Amino acid sequence: MTSAIVLATSGLVAGYERDLPIVRGIDFSLHAGELVVILGPNGAGKSTFVKAIAGLVPVHAGTTMLGEIDVTALPADEKIRHGLAFVPQTENVFATLSIKDNLLVAADILPKDLRNRRIAEIYAMFPDLADRTSRRAGQLSGGQRQMLAIARALIVEPSVLILDEPSAGLSPKIVAEVFARLRSINRAGVSIILVEQNVKAALAVADRAVILVEGRLRHEGTAAGLTEDPIIAELYLGARPNRALTP
Amino acid sequence: MNPQTLMDGLIAGSMIGLGAVGITLTYSILRFANFAHGDMISWGAYFALAIAGALGAAFSGLLTPIGPFSFGWALPIAALAATVLNGGLALLVDALLFKRLRARNSTVIIMVMASFGAALTLRSLLEFIFTSKPAYYTNALQIALPLGGGIRATPDQMLSLAVSVVIVIAVHLLLSRTAIGRSMRAVSENVQLSGLVGIRVRRVIRIVWVLGAVLAAIAGVFAGVLVQIRPEMGLDLLLPLFAAAILGGIGSVPGAMFGGLIIGVSEALAVGVVGAQWRAAVSFVILIVVLLVRPQGLFGRAE
Amino acid sequence: MNLELISYAAFFLTVALTYAIMCLGLNVQWGQTGVFNVGIAGFVAIGAYVSALLTTPETAGRIGGFGLPIVVGCVAGALVTSGISFLIGALTIRLRSDYLAIATFGVAVAVQLCALNLQGLTGGPFGIGFIPRPFGEFAGNPLLFSLLNFGVLAVLVLVLYFVLERLARSPWGRVLRAIREDEAAAQALGKNAVKFRLQAFALGGGIMGLAGAVQAHFIGFIAPDNYQPILTFQVWAMLIVGGSGNNRGAILGAVLVWAIWAASAALVAAVFPAGEQARAATLQIVLIGVALCAILLLRPRGILGELRVVSRHLLKLPAAGGPTAEPNSKKAPHARNS
Repeated sequence: MTSAIVLATSGLVAGYERDLPIVRGIDFSLHAGELVVILGPNGAGKSTFVKAIAGLVPVHAGTTMLGEIDVTALPADEKIRHGLAFVPQTENVFATLSIKDNLLVAADILPKDLRNRRIAEIYAMFPDLADRTSRRAGQLSGGQRQMLAIARALIVEPSVLILDEPSAGLSPKIVAEVFARLRSINRAGVSIILVEQNVKAALAVADRAVILVEGRLRHEGTAAGLTEDPIIAELYLGARPNRALTP
Repeated sequence: MNPQTLMDGLIAGSMIGLGAVGITLTYSILRFANFAHGDMISWGAYFALAIAGALGAAFSGLLTPIGPFSFGWALPIAALAATVLNGGLALLVDALLFKRLRARNSTVIIMVMASFGAALTLRSLLEFIFTSKPAYYTNALQIALPLGGGIRATPDQMLSLAVSVVIVIAVHLLLSRTAIGRSMRAVSENVQLSGLVGIRVRRVIRIVWVLGAVLAAIAGVFAGVLVQIRPEMGLDLLLPLFAAAILGGIGSVPGAMFGGLIIGVSEALAVGVVGAQWRAAVSFVILIVVLLVRPQGLFGRAE
Repeated sequence: MNLELISYAAFFLTVALTYAIMCLGLNVQWGQTGVFNVGIAGFVAIGAYVSALLTTPETAGRIGGFGLPIVVGCVAGALVTSGISFLIGALTIRLRSDYLAIATFGVAVAVQLCALNLQGLTGGPFGIGFIPRPFGEFAGNPLLFSLLNFGVLAVLVLVLYFVLERLARSPWGRVLRAIREDEAAAQALGKNAVKFRLQAFALGGGIMGLAGAVQAHFIGFIAPDNYQPILTFQVWAMLIVGGSGNNRGAILGAVLVWAIWAASAALVAAVFPAGEQARAATLQIVLIGVALCAILLLRPRGILGELRVVSRHLLKLPAAGGPTAEPNSKKAPHARNS
């Protein structure tokens, strides 16, 4: 793709302990308007990688660039202000706050005149949430919670949206809804990085996929290409050749 | 139950509740039991004492009691100044001690131990500066006025009750309707997610310290007005404060006030039965019962 | 050599060793099982009062007059405190650590309240006097008296030390260590974790009671004022400074911190005029409080590391639902660059 790079990591080394890096030097880039999915076996460091980008895991070496800006050392509350939004896998909404307050808390960093407009726009995008604004987030179903988490991330109109296994714990029907939603968000111009275990659903919406193994980027390709490659599928994605990843 | 006992209990309880609100906020948002909160109450009372004394010495007119109350304008002015100073003191202690322990990811136990140490230091400093002799804001005596139904209360007491209620409502509105209140509730639930959504957690922590200290100062001034001022006054309140906050449910502001009122009334009732010297045992018993039977308190969230 | 100096040194060390016993008891509760006891003063008081009551002569207005031997008093003090610790533990040991801290703090307040108010039992605010002192017949000869007392205490501490070390290496001690390291695994092995922690709590409490009793006999007089929160703070400080969760550290810490305490008291007393001694004492506490907060901040990696290890394992306690669990998000919050 020749479009601009909105996010790039260069030689990123990260991990919870200094002497035990889980991410072992990754060069990765996200182009404007892309939806890239990060795949790989368990323990490969996919979650840790995106958490390091988001500022939740210490970075030992390397850089993360958001456009022209070096955001490597910025804390999470700064990164969101630069347009980098992260939706963690668990505990991604405030269960004790209402839907409305969950969205307000995110909107509070916007200038006042923008706040109400964005909230209204988000409610329009997510009518399910608009129907029950005073319900506590903890009382929502798994799928609704995921939608709320995504809605919350979109409030600030991020240029990059990162999600860590959004399909985890959701039924196939809900997964389809979530992924359809992500595709439409992507089509509207938000560049997205997805970490996923649900390879089939992810490759169906992605432009490109990268495969992480043991903290390093092992393989890259278009989603379509990877879908058709049975050897890659078996090696990295845990699928047997005759159970092809037909979307 | 004698209505006067109830009234006495509510008055004492509203003071405990005010202090407990401060404890419940710091406990739920800063996530540790701050054993120094009692001494913040004492410091608030003494700040006001010193300033009121200075004001009174400079402008004796400020000592003339306002209306039916026992104190002159020197005290409300001093109380206001005391809340500011107390806030500053809390920020200072945080900057010197707790912030650094937080930065090193200290466990809850270290924070509590440090707060215990800070409490001792603060208390002894007060004793060093002011000695342990009880002090008073004013020598004016107050007559309890009949309120009907066989209940009597002094104007000071009624003011304390009214102010406590107003403050609790104000804090509750702050938490539920304002941006900073939302941030505080968010940080109280999940610090990491708070950072992700853009909340400036450091700022929230500082605000919580100041808010807790302001509430402590007000509680201290009222305790000084209604009872007396001693370096130990905060320590003596600590167990009732914790009991009230835990009874109400850590994190619940109305719960803390409610808990305070329950403890105040229970103490008043118990004193009638077993004598005033056993007052402090009431908090202990209530605390143990709550911890055993329903540790999340009345309005707290079960973990 | 200056006999007075020896006498003073023996006296100083004797007092330090009574604190050492308290530290050893705290180490059993904290080092072995991670129980955060903020009510040490209460446990010490119980032992002291029990022993005093059993050994003092008849006094008007108070139960007493048993005139039992000192040893009986001390043993009884330890046992009663142990029993009460067991009861308190049974009620509170499942609580998460900061609730447990508040509960034990409440216990100390309650104990002091009883000491103050149950005049018929405890002598009220006046306390109990004429507590028989070991080798009391030699009181006239300060050097001999102080050396004999020091000897007794030194022997006691050594015996306690060896017993506790043996205990730590015994099957019982190993189970406790396993529970400390990983409660889930220990439970899977069929060990009832709560039961063992309760036993350790009771043992530690009993040792604290013993310390109280011994101290009471050494000083000869006790009052509710002796058992304020500051005593709790002193013992914790001693364990932190010296103890890395081990018994040797407990003893060394007690001596070291007591030395600092006595030295600062002497310093402050020297600086302040006679009439201001009470104020001087408060300043001393201020300095100690500041110094010990500083130690909490600046502790060398080793002591910090040990405490962290214990605490980290506590944080792994299985979330059985309810307030006994400590999910990891319950650490004190900090933002980066705080």
